[in-house]
Amino acid sequence: MKHRKSLAVVAAATALWLAACATGSETSDQSTDTLTLNGDRSDFVPAYTAAGEELKKLTGFGIEPRNVPSTENYQQVIRSSLQSSSSTDIIKWWSGYRLQDLARTGSLANLDAEWDKAVKNGWVNADTKPSFSYDGHVYAMPMYKSYWVIYYNKKVYKDLNLSVPTTWEQFIGNAEKIKAAGVTPFFATQEAGWTAFIWFGEILSKLDPDFYVKLMNGEAKYTDPPARRAMEIWADLYDRGFFTAPDTSWDNEPALFKAGKVAMVPMGTWRNAAFAQNGLTEADYGAFVMPPVTPNTKPSVIIESGVFAVPQRASNADAAKEALGEWLNPAVQKTWVDGINDISANPQVGITNPILTSVVQQVQQLKPMELERYWEASPPALIEGNVQDLAAFMVKPTPQNIESTLQKMENRAAAEWAKWREQR
Amino acid sequence: MARAALNDAAATVAASAGKPPRTPPPRRRAGHRLSGRWGWTARAGSAGFLAPAVLLVAVLLLVPFAVTLYQSFTQYDGIRPARFIGLDNYERLATDSGFRKSLLNTFMWTVGTLLLPVVLGLLIAVLTNGASRLAWVRYAFVLPYAISGTATAAIWGFILRSDGALNQALGFLGLESLQREWLLEWPTNTIVMIVANTWQAVGVAVILFLVGLQTVPQETVEAGTLDGASGLRLFRHIVFPQLRPVTVVVVGISIANSLRVFDVIWLLTQGGPGRVSETLAVTMYRQTFVVSDYGFGAAVAVVLAVIVVGASWIYLRQQMPKRA
Repeated sequence: MKHRKSLAVVAAATALWLAACATGSETSDQSTDTLTLNGDRSDFVPAYTAAGEELKKLTGFGIEPRNVPSTENYQQVIRSSLQSSSSTDIIKWWSGYRLQDLARTGSLANLDAEWDKAVKNGWVNADTKPSFSYDGHVYAMPMYKSYWVIYYNKKVYKDLNLSVPTTWEQFIGNAEKIKAAGVTPFFATQEAGWTAFIWFGEILSKLDPDFYVKLMNGEAKYTDPPARRAMEIWADLYDRGFFTAPDTSWDNEPALFKAGKVAMVPMGTWRNAAFAQNGLTEADYGAFVMPPVTPNTKPSVIIESGVFAVPQRASNADAAKEALGEWLNPAVQKTWVDGINDISANPQVGITNPILTSVVQQVQQLKPMELERYWEASPPALIEGNVQDLAAFMVKPTPQNIESTLQKMENRAAAEWAKWREQR
Repeated sequence: MARAALNDAAATVAASAGKPPRTPPPRRRAGHRLSGRWGWTARAGSAGFLAPAVLLVAVLLLVPFAVTLYQSFTQYDGIRPARFIGLDNYERLATDSGFRKSLLNTFMWTVGTLLLPVVLGLLIAVLTNGASRLAWVRYAFVLPYAISGTATAAIWGFILRSDGALNQALGFLGLESLQREWLLEWPTNTIVMIVANTWQAVGVAVILFLVGLQTVPQETVEAGTLDGASGLRLFRHIVFPQLRPVTVVVVGISIANSLRVFDVIWLLTQGGPGRVSETLAVTMYRQTFVVSDYGFGAAVAVVLAVIVVGASWIYLRQQMPKRA
């Protein structure tokens, strides 16, 4: 009898413990003054905390960051946790169609009021609203605004007496001279998976930005002439030996760039932090927006914004919404962008980093059309598949492979767009 | 009847030799069950001992498998409720060229990891067994087993990339014609990854074969030698047959490892370029966790599970010693 009682006590204790676990280790206490935030960038963690301290002065809520190192695992964690109340109060995610993919499930909180407040205060460009919306409603606030630029090694440029190109001819002319000097002109790799889309997106956007927008929105075909022309240009650059090997380690990119083994690197301004960590300074490198392929082409620049969203069922959803209402406040943003070494989505926030300052000045001068990055600009399943095809093309970038690659991408686009529209 | 008679005879022989009679293990046979109150009590007692293990297997293996099986008949993005679509995911599998390549690569991995670790493991164990001077050779092959798959991939990535150590060494030796894009071309990438995996996995085969070799009775070897056998003949006819139980285990482990290989591939090529170096485990991971097509990923998982269980069952049925 006594034994049975002991068993019952143990069983009850276990049940209580399991019930306690069911609320999740990611959640925070409902009466807390700290909001939990989950992300997949460990290098952002100190900046989350620092920005949280500024946020606390304004809203009373600080940030307690969590981190999942692998992006795939992180996506899985978020997808699972959104179905329960075990998610963090704020989640890092991606803009565009990746955000829509979550928002259309009804698992994210509406942030219309917070967005309107930011627009009213002049804290965000109202034109960028579609990147953070689904069905006309805002579901996320921008974390930063990265411009995609070409970083160049100043020493290589100086040694070869090159100047920053403003036309396509100058850009390619520089690459020819760099190649002749025994240095690889451009960094390109498919080793990290996602990196395979970079050159396709850059060349196509500088060839025909309007077509780029249509293609990304499923209103044009991958087999249309501009896409084919972009692939021909890319194949030609490969033929001239301008790129690194397609299996070059992406992690090794800052070291190769620093050593002057690669002269130019196409990447978002967020990569600035990695270059700085590798000891590169303003004296070592600069950045420019890639010039259009023809003089008649509208100037354009690809932009990218990570986002913060609030899970509908988060234990502190209301407090998280309130905090995101102040996220773009210049006081918070100054600390945040200084921490991550990138550009704020708030145009009022000044930049101290000289490389980033030069990028912003170029953008202000060029007034380019701002395009969403390939990764976020179409349904995720379509992008993931096409990135694989582009990676395969990078290994055999011959004119003969162009048609088959584009046809595969178009077939996938037709299928995935149909699925996307059916699921709306 | 005949078996009972034999048992009686054995008991008689044992008794006559002054030893207690050997009791045959109880068998569950019709007409010979425990009956009555004591039977039920004994069975309930056994069930109590079995329950934790059965519960664990059910909760951790059978329930997830049942859920995965159901998920393979649905369209599910990981968030919204799953929609039942019948056999659509399996039809997609049948027409997906990437899946066919994945199957082919899985087959190559199975053959490769069956042959290389087993043959090399046996060879190294035989050559170094009993030779204390060659102990360092044994350690050189066994040590990589202590390294994780992730570290193995990092080391071999450094060696195999186009600008890696192997191509640099070939260039240094004037063998430029042998330089390759090892990780970019199929089937070269699959083959070199099998080699990388073998480097890491051969250690366990060496250990198991060494244990097996040390259990071979010296008398049998001496008897074989007296009969004139030596060298390869002695090994083939005397030693190797006695290593059969160990070989069964090593081959079984190799089959299971080859079918679930993931980390080395994911870290070296991510199944690419394109999808040319994917195996079923990588395809399953990509479809589920990268593309978030959980239903399709579950269908791949079911196919993989059927192959693993089927292969293991057939193999063990063939190889395990039959009960008398």
